[in-house]
Amino acid sequence: MEKNFKPQITVFHCINCFSGDLESSIPSRSDGVLKSVKMACSSMVKDVFLLRAFESGSDAVIVMVCPEGQCRYVEGNIRAKKRIEWVKKLLDEIELDGRRLSLHPIDSGDPDAATGIIGRVLSEVSALGPNPAG
Amino acid sequence: MIVGEQKPIGEIKQILSPYKRVLVLGCGTCVKTCFAGGEDEVAVLSSALRLVFKKEGREITIEELTVERQCEDEFIREAAPAVSNNAAVLSLACGAGVQAIARRFIDVPVLPGVNTTFIGVLEKQGLFTEECLGCGDCKLAVFGGVCPVTRCSKKLLNGPCGGSRAGKCEVNPETDCAWQFIISRLEVLGQLDNLRKYNPPKDWRASHAGGPRKLVREDHII
Repeated sequence: MEKNFKPQITVFHCINCFSGDLESSIPSRSDGVLKSVKMACSSMVKDVFLLRAFESGSDAVIVMVCPEGQCRYVEGNIRAKKRIEWVKKLLDEIELDGRRLSLHPIDSGDPDAATGIIGRVLSEVSALGPNPAG
Repeated sequence: MIVGEQKPIGEIKQILSPYKRVLVLGCGTCVKTCFAGGEDEVAVLSSALRLVFKKEGREITIEELTVERQCEDEFIREAAPAVSNNAAVLSLACGAGVQAIARRFIDVPVLPGVNTTFIGVLEKQGLFTEECLGCGDCKLAVFGGVCPVTRCSKKLLNGPCGGSRAGKCEVNPETDCAWQFIISRLEVLGQLDNLRKYNPPKDWRASHAGGPRKLVREDHII
């Protein structure tokens, strides 16, 4: 692992699972840079948005969705899950490592859960190293 | 519609290896519907290629464009400025679209990014099934609108073969028995007597056996 590696993480999240401003709602961290993108529903996260996050230098991308059965639009989180599985395979195919992309169901407005997820992803991506195409 | 599947990134990468400026050209008709070559697929593939080339330290410029139909010259024309900016075109159309682009822009390499697979229907979102071989001599009227030439694994014109089990084909249990469908459909239509008629061997001269086919409509040619 590179010394002084400070992973850049992009979080796409559904406003129904986390309505607030993510960066200001969770404790700031010195070991990573966080950027968040709000969506009306997690199903709006298109494949290309995830790839462009990596193109713009993200070392990991997180998609936060409502737990299954709790999507306001019934199946948005299931669509997001399938799309993320597809993009993970694509990342593996281009040898960027699908583990850099992850999906996490989160109960509505739970900043502690979000903090925990970001902490876990930060430590995982620290082990993976920087995005080789970043 | 024509159904196709995008080639693996590794193969596309190989095809593009001699070029530094590439136009990824989508087609907004059939291949868009089957998620192989529409605007979204152009964006995803271009992004994936930029990532993979950057990772390998290769400099390549990728331009993206999608036209309504690559198999019609009227729509191809709008791609001319983008084609002239690039050293090669990666077409995400079916084989007909790739060739139409190659014919129009004769001095630019036009490369296929999609494997054209079959003429089919969208059975449900994300599921496409083959329904027509384009044999040039349609007999669907006899078979209750179900094509045994395409959908029967043995292409039997005088079926069923007797090998199907619970409506599934003995060649591949995941394939529905076309003759099961034909019989059920003819029963509903009250046309089971069709099964008493002998269907003579198919004349394949109307298909690919006679070389590439041509359709001429004199009334539309000026």
